[in-house]
Amino acid sequence: MASKKTETVNVNARLNRRTILKGAAALGVFGSSFPMPAIAQETTWTLANSMRSVANPYHASFAKGGADFAKSIGATYETLATEGNSEKGVSDIRALLQRTGGKLILNVDPNDSPDARVIVEEVKKAGGFVVTQWNKPDDLHPWDFDPNYVAHMSFDGVPTAEAIANELFKAFGGEGGIVALGGILSNVPAIERKLGLDNAIAKTNGKVTLLDFQPADWNEQKAFDITQAWLTRFGDQVKGVFAANDGMGMGALEALRQNGLAGKVPVVGIDGIDAAVTAIEAGEFAGTVAWDPIWTGGMGLAIPYAHATGKIDITKEPREHREFYGTGIIVSKDTVADYKNNPPKVDYNDLWGKATGQIQYRS
Amino acid sequence: MKPVSVSNGNLLGHWRRWAPVVVLLALCILISLFNGNFLTFGNFIRLLNSAAIPIVLCMGATFIILMGSIDLSIEGVVALTAVIVSLLVLNDISPYALSLWAVPIAVAVGGMMGLLNGVLHIKLKTPSFMTTLGVGFAGVGVATTILGGTTVRISDPTFRFLSLGRVLEIPMAVWIAAVAVAVAYVIQERTRLGRWLYAIGTDEMTARHAGIPIERTRILIFGIAGLFYGLGGVLAAAQFGQGHALISQGRLFTTITAVVVGGTALSGGVGSVINSVIGVFIVVVLANGLVLMGVEPYVQQGVQGLLIIAAVALALDRSRLDVVK
Repeated sequence: MASKKTETVNVNARLNRRTILKGAAALGVFGSSFPMPAIAQETTWTLANSMRSVANPYHASFAKGGADFAKSIGATYETLATEGNSEKGVSDIRALLQRTGGKLILNVDPNDSPDARVIVEEVKKAGGFVVTQWNKPDDLHPWDFDPNYVAHMSFDGVPTAEAIANELFKAFGGEGGIVALGGILSNVPAIERKLGLDNAIAKTNGKVTLLDFQPADWNEQKAFDITQAWLTRFGDQVKGVFAANDGMGMGALEALRQNGLAGKVPVVGIDGIDAAVTAIEAGEFAGTVAWDPIWTGGMGLAIPYAHATGKIDITKEPREHREFYGTGIIVSKDTVADYKNNPPKVDYNDLWGKATGQIQYRS
Repeated sequence: MKPVSVSNGNLLGHWRRWAPVVVLLALCILISLFNGNFLTFGNFIRLLNSAAIPIVLCMGATFIILMGSIDLSIEGVVALTAVIVSLLVLNDISPYALSLWAVPIAVAVGGMMGLLNGVLHIKLKTPSFMTTLGVGFAGVGVATTILGGTTVRISDPTFRFLSLGRVLEIPMAVWIAAVAVAVAYVIQERTRLGRWLYAIGTDEMTARHAGIPIERTRILIFGIAGLFYGLGGVLAAAQFGQGHALISQGRLFTTITAVVVGGTALSGGVGSVINSVIGVFIVVVLANGLVLMGVEPYVQQGVQGLLIIAAVALALDRSRLDVVK
């Protein structure tokens, strides 16, 4: 009895600390996860996009894509931000399922792969529909949760990274040493992009060498400091910088600028943020890959909505419509003008128009 | 001010005071043995460049920690002031083009947030840990709301000169950081405020009995710290040529680490802003050195963690600590 009591106390202490931190996290959240203004309701379904935070450009566009689609059908729409906290992500979704009585269409970029399973199970239990993005366990498939788990969308990091690495090689003449900044080591996109880079280097038959690879954890500042150190270590051996995302690429670019090398040593990134596109125009970036998050943000709702309203029967769709890659657009010096003049369009009736094949599992 | 325990002898006390410097020198020697490029002028400038912003942030954080409090709002204040200054100079979103006049405004906003920290902490009697965490989150939240997740690009060359400009071959940001250190040093050594904050950090009850206006001092110090963070936000915006809500990511941890590694005790009352400057250099040289030595990235974090513990263990005089918490 006595020992049981102690245990309870301990659990409480732990819970308290966690609760406090969670409460504090919520403080920061109210500024960012404001619900979109409700508009004339023409459907009984509530639509929601869930993502890490609207503080980064990719997720801000992802949220906008969801809002755009909801507006086009006159549905209530909400943005949920996990703020990097899996527990908060899941409990927000649970609350919304309860509030809508299960009449929820959810487009979620789970904070972490294991979260996807919990979210899918909750949505199935409540009778809603869900599409997941980027992160999910390899053995979790939409067809195992028919019809509620509608689809999983992702982008294939390997060929995109390989393509953008080739843009980099082209920019410095295809011969010499490069340095590479990677993402958080355990992230699937970070692993895929590194693999793509390795493939591209291998195909040059030794003409391009990887001087050093450092993970900068998707962080601009870290990328800045590492790039500075590389300039000391390798000097003018560095012919180009490969960054696994544009944020780190911008950090590298500013480090090059501090050393009078901006525009002389080309940089490539991935994500297609505005700053990178501008840097391409200025001749400082050799390229980036645009993911079109407006499309993923909208289509992750449009597909389940089409099923919910009887336009399609998702259980009868082939597997490449259930787990598929979107299209990354390579933006380089040659294509940047075209990309800016003709921004990618979203056609909500063409549900799989931009899908490029069924997802491959590599491990 | 820095009493040395008699039983330990002056020699040991003396050695501890210099421990951070010894650690820094040892690191420099070790790294230059592996890679001669470390000792080049070019790398020296790069190290200064990497150290400038952390040093400015540390000036504020040191004061807070000397008082025995903690400030977790650094990232929030830096994010908000960086976004505000970016929007006030020539940029691609807002019509303002105040150029360098935007700097005092942003720094003042930092000061206001610091004061808010202080007032909430004192008047509501909430621990600084929670108050500053909340204000910090609010700062990032407001910065996010202002920009809606986008990035504002700065196109004002005068403003960017604050980071990119060179005077006597030394980057402007480094000169600004040097001035910040001088100001912080004067506050610490030559003002009543400086003496009071040591008194509060050492023993608040005694300080109260001695008639020191504890609450006013605490609020004021939080305000001053906010000014330094605001300046840090300005420099961050000038360095990256842009402002966004995530610009300060990772700053908090680096700053607190540097303060502690420099030998300022989290328990308060022991340390100085000069210690923190050394602390920043230990952290910056270590990060630079691990890349120069070609240490496996997977091993780097572990090495960093171990060396930081070692540096703290050497620098901190635990003989006067009754309890370790």
